Amino acid sequence: MQENSLTVVKVGGGAGIDPSGVCTDVAAWATRGRPVVLVHGASHRANILTKARGLEPRFLTSPSGHRSRYTDPQAREIFVQAAQEANEEIVALLRGLGAVAVGMTGDRVALRAVRKQALRAVVDGRTVVVRDDYSGRITGIDEGSLRSILAAGQVPVIPPLARSTSDGLLNVDGDRAAASVAAALGAESLLIFSNVPGLMRHYPHENSLVSMVDRDQMDQAMSWAQGRMKRKVLSVRQALDAGVRRVVLADARPSHPLVRAIEGEGTWFNA
Amino acid sequence: MSEIVCTECGAELRLDDDVIQNEILPCPDCGVELEVMSLNPFQVALAPEVEEDWGE
Repeated sequence: MQENSLTVVKVGGGAGIDPSGVCTDVAAWATRGRPVVLVHGASHRANILTKARGLEPRFLTSPSGHRSRYTDPQAREIFVQAAQEANEEIVALLRGLGAVAVGMTGDRVALRAVRKQALRAVVDGRTVVVRDDYSGRITGIDEGSLRSILAAGQVPVIPPLARSTSDGLLNVDGDRAAASVAAALGAESLLIFSNVPGLMRHYPHENSLVSMVDRDQMDQAMSWAQGRMKRKVLSVRQALDAGVRRVVLADARPSHPLVRAIEGEGTWFNA
Repeated sequence: MSEIVCTECGAELRLDDDVIQNEILPCPDCGVELEVMSLNPFQVALAPEVEEDWGE
């Protein structure tokens, strides 16, 4: 990977993911002048905030098996708060490490999306239509502001929120967001970190980790993916289709996760 | 058990008593998907086509 080429990094917001390892490496790259955009999740924090209000997080399962947060109006309010808090924490972490980080929240939200007016979900074996979900499909990126921040040697920090002209802030999938940003900005690499070492042929057996997936093996990769990993592989495909040269799915938990990933750990997908 | 009429082909559909609001039911005659818009009285409409691209 070239030092002056853009890298988009995604760190998940799931339970057990401490973003400090990823932030340490992002800050080191940024202070050396290497351009990097950081996208993050907020799922665990949203669960905690939901339970603090005496509620239970709810999820929808699509007919094809994808599981997503049910973001009704109340859950949307909680999710936005969780995403903003996670963003503030990561920005503070990066600044403490010497990087100039810019949180893309409030007026700076850089993703645009449209709300799905109707979703299909499977509830107790029955397929139903859900009309009050405030999640969205990403339709655009504010490239100008992100490029300006990068040109100033700063790190844009992007939460899993997108703005809809008619529906306000929407919950968007962080992996898809990272792929969209990487595609729009012409990033050379996209590194996606979560609480697993990468794609496994036989989940959850980590000794079945797939180290390399060629372009013609994407369908096979999709068949290996279980649960949340399916969405990640879809995001990988989206990024590669858009011209990103390399996507890596790797573990956020060890020290120096970015260094480990570019040295070959995790699952590499090459264009 | 209740009966409704398919909005597309006019076929009669028999609904189980435990049908739920917004449930999608295929018409056994023409195959279109109908959404239960109301339980009392029973009303159905063509179910919306939706693609999958959800949030977090």
